[in-house]
Amino acid sequence: MKLSVPMPVKMVLLVLGTTAFYMYLGQIVPQKEEHPPPPVLISDDMTTEDLVEIGRELAEGKGQCLAACHNIGSSGPSRYPDLGGIGERAATTIEGLSDIEYLAQSLYEPSAYVVPGYEDGMQPMNEPPISLSDDEIRAVVAWLQSLGSTPTVTLETELGY
Amino acid sequence: MYGLNLVVVLPLVAVAGVLVWRRANTLTWLLFSLIGLWAFFKFGFIVPIPQSVATIYLGITGLALVCYASSSRERLAETVQPIVRLIVEPRYRLALAGLLIALPALAAYNVYADLTAPLEAPGFGREIHPPPPTELTVHDETLDMATADNPYLHYHEDDPEAYEQHLENGRRIYYENCFWCHGDGMGGDGMFAHGLNPVPSNFNDVGTLPILQSSYVHWRIAKGAPGLPAGGTPWDSAMPAWEKFLTTEEMWDVNLFIYDFNGYQPRALGQH
Amino acid sequence: MSRNKILFGIGVLAFVSVIVTVRLGGFLVDNEYRQPERQVAVEEATGEAEATPRQQGIADEQAADEAEARARPYVEAEYRAVPFVGSRVTVWVLAQLHLLFAAFVLAVPIFAFIIEFIGYVTGEKRYDRLAYEFTKLLSVSFSMTATFGAFLTFALIILYPKFTNYLMHIFSPTFLPYVLLFFLEALFLYSYYYGWGKFGPKMHLFLGFMLNVVGTAIMFIANAWLTFMMSPGKREDVDGDGIPDFVSAVSESGALLSLRDAFFNFTWMPINIHRIIANVAFGGSIAAAYAAFRYLQARNDEDRAHFDWMGYVGNFVAIIAFLPLPFAGYYLAAEIYAFSQTLGVQMMGGTFSWLFVLQAALIGNLFLGANYYLWLGMGRIEGTAHFHRFIKWLLIAIALCFAVWATPRYAIASVSEIAAMGGSSHPQLSYLGQMSAKNTAVNILILSTYMSFLLYRRTGKTSIHPQRQLLARTQVIIFAAAAALVIFFGVFGYHQSVDAATRIRFAIPQVYSVLAAMVAITVIDLPLYRNARQTGETQWGRMPAVSQYALIFIALSFTWLMGLMGYVRSGLRQEWHVYGVVLDTSPDAYTPTLGFATQIVSVTVLIFFGLIGVVFWLSSLSGKKAWEPKSAVEADRLGEGHAA
Repeated sequence: MKLSVPMPVKMVLLVLGTTAFYMYLGQIVPQKEEHPPPPVLISDDMTTEDLVEIGRELAEGKGQCLAACHNIGSSGPSRYPDLGGIGERAATTIEGLSDIEYLAQSLYEPSAYVVPGYEDGMQPMNEPPISLSDDEIRAVVAWLQSLGSTPTVTLETELGY
Repeated sequence: MYGLNLVVVLPLVAVAGVLVWRRANTLTWLLFSLIGLWAFFKFGFIVPIPQSVATIYLGITGLALVCYASSSRERLAETVQPIVRLIVEPRYRLALAGLLIALPALAAYNVYADLTAPLEAPGFGREIHPPPPTELTVHDETLDMATADNPYLHYHEDDPEAYEQHLENGRRIYYENCFWCHGDGMGGDGMFAHGLNPVPSNFNDVGTLPILQSSYVHWRIAKGAPGLPAGGTPWDSAMPAWEKFLTTEEMWDVNLFIYDFNGYQPRALGQH
Repeated sequence: MSRNKILFGIGVLAFVSVIVTVRLGGFLVDNEYRQPERQVAVEEATGEAEATPRQQGIADEQAADEAEARARPYVEAEYRAVPFVGSRVTVWVLAQLHLLFAAFVLAVPIFAFIIEFIGYVTGEKRYDRLAYEFTKLLSVSFSMTATFGAFLTFALIILYPKFTNYLMHIFSPTFLPYVLLFFLEALFLYSYYYGWGKFGPKMHLFLGFMLNVVGTAIMFIANAWLTFMMSPGKREDVDGDGIPDFVSAVSESGALLSLRDAFFNFTWMPINIHRIIANVAFGGSIAAAYAAFRYLQARNDEDRAHFDWMGYVGNFVAIIAFLPLPFAGYYLAAEIYAFSQTLGVQMMGGTFSWLFVLQAALIGNLFLGANYYLWLGMGRIEGTAHFHRFIKWLLIAIALCFAVWATPRYAIASVSEIAAMGGSSHPQLSYLGQMSAKNTAVNILILSTYMSFLLYRRTGKTSIHPQRQLLARTQVIIFAAAAALVIFFGVFGYHQSVDAATRIRFAIPQVYSVLAAMVAITVIDLPLYRNARQTGETQWGRMPAVSQYALIFIALSFTWLMGLMGYVRSGLRQEWHVYGVVLDTSPDAYTPTLGFATQIVSVTVLIFFGLIGVVFWLSSLSGKKAWEPKSAVEADRLGEGHAA
């Protein structure tokens, strides 16, 4: 007696077997799942130093301040004011506004005061497409303060907006 | 010789020679190839090759042998006939019985050997060179990783004296800071290397410095283990983030030095 | 009652009982409050329902729901989800199926046209028949391609509405030409297929040519969309320092700056080239699998001979296209590296490095399978024992190259193994894991496969050329010289005096020496075996069944390989929809494990083979005899039916 397997069965077995073999190869190599970097998170217990760090990351990343518009303390061409030493200048730029209030105003209502010699063109940072939250703006203010002065903003600071 | 374990390799070659001389049949050759290569991969190197690689090689060997045995009717017959004779003919009874005992015994021994092997941390596929970020900020200076290059490299062409100066500075920094782990000859075998897991990078290796752009090396020096992405885990490298101890210039100098010392050129920008 | 009726009855019964079971089960597990029968009766009698607090509650709830639904503002969805499998897997599988069918539909006309052309030039009818046989597979596959294309488009719009909208923003001007070309594709395809033998040969060849032109144009447009997602812009030396700078086709916020740059982006051409070649290889292997399927089904020697030949030609097409594919792949990878170091390292050394070890296993299997089929093919011809002794050496060369290519750059090693090696790479094997070793291996693989072809060509023939010995020796010398050059560059690359940049550039002379050798040997071979004396008859159809299964194995490996490489091309972007511009913020943004990816690829391949089985079956119908009534009784009954 000769045992014979019908052709379609053999073919299905070949297809399943080959696929299973390749899938098995895929299972024995190192398995690693890579997750995208988490968005910058601000937790309640952060100190002013932490805020400065986050503010810098925001300015470089989500806030797009540095990539597109501003320089920090370098003399290259810039369409918008240089941010180098802004922490020092901020307190005296507008009479009646403290440095924190002035910086907050520049972020929430950029058109309210435009540095002489520059054009009005900045987007409000709390609106799309940037859409920074209030805490994130606090962090950016802290970072701006740190450029030329000592930051004082905490998460409790009232920005007035 | 060439890292081969001659005690194993020479007898294998001798057996092959005997097989050629005695005009061994196909089945004998197939069995010899399989067993001989197994022995070669397992014991043939002074520094044993990792189990995972040996498995890949043996799998390929097995596939090739099956292909060979069935590549024509005649050869298939040559291969199968001795086996059929062994099973059918009465005069091979004893050999058959021996085989029927030996095969399960071999399998049993394999299980025993597997279970009694000392437990070890599993071999994770840690990424030795994880992908770099697209931008790198060192000391408030942001570099585009794709286009950044060693700022002092061009001195090699246009100002050999300045180049020599940067190199000398790099040498000083290397032997003040790096050689403890990376070694006198940069072989990744410094005096502290044996206590570290993962082991320090071997800069002599043909597959390390030359395949990396110098911006990549700068990234690794500046950010160290704390700057490794998730792919560089599960073990934490002991490499410090040197940006906390060295200036940017010093880091580029040492970068220059380790390339120069090993006679390698960094992978060029946008190179194919 | 006939057997069919009983079966039908059982089917209906089973269907009804399933429904009844489900309804009954649903009724029993339902724990919704039901009013007692008695109360219903009272309500019906009095005509009014008692206002219980519960009923009041239900009514209030409904009202509240309705009010809430009215008050809810319309929100633009960024993503929608598919239960169980997830959005990404849905789009992934649909796109892959669409691509597999599309690749087949684009590839078959290329070689059908070439085979028809050969038939036209040589005047041999069998080529024309073969080309028609290939074309038969097209019409059903074309519908499948369109169906999955539409399915994929819907899936994208439903599941990734915001991102799809963004792609519309960039590429809306390209959609109309795409649709028009698709119309033309249908026109040329059906006129080419149905017009077989109805037009003059030149007109028909023209239709085939136009079919290819239009098909390629369609693919080029679609390639622009997907390569834009990987490389949204070009590299150009803007500041004149000799280093190409990245010029984005879109602004920081993603708005389109230049459609031209977005369309002709950095990786567009490499993908085009890679895909055309890969499509032909894939199409050839699938067509060969069809022939194998028919061969195994065949009941007479004539059919067997025909489909054996068809399988041989399909496999020949696949392998010829497969030989340059590694080079096209290296070109694409090199361009990706040149575009972004991050992507390049990600691909070859990072998350995806193990994928390329899998790829090596697949490609090694493909080469092994193709050579194996050729060796078995020598069994068709009488008096080939002379050639069999070469097989051993070819096999050793192929296995060695396969092993080199599958050597991982960094092996998985346990702690003690790492300690013994003194690092993550083995002192000797480290050389084999390098690019130059792998380049050498793939070049030798190609040369060996080419030699298998040459050997196959020689079987059953003796040259009658007056200078046959000299010519044959020249061929051997050219072959040996090419192999020696390839190995020399491979080994010399590691010499101390060679820096890495030069070492990588050694790949170029390697490729050229292999290509030159193949061309030169072919040029010598043509006159050498012109009008050669036949020493053994080629008996098409005299093949062991295992050879046909080898063809199906090759087709499977090709399909799986395409699925895997499709994954790496798309997965390389990681959490980006458009690399560096549009971030994927959906729950599927992470990069899955390789094991998971291979599972999806396997499922896709199985679905594809199920569907292609249907295509094969439908195509084989046309060769079957017309249906006839089984018996006189049945014929009578039919006649009565008509009369009534």
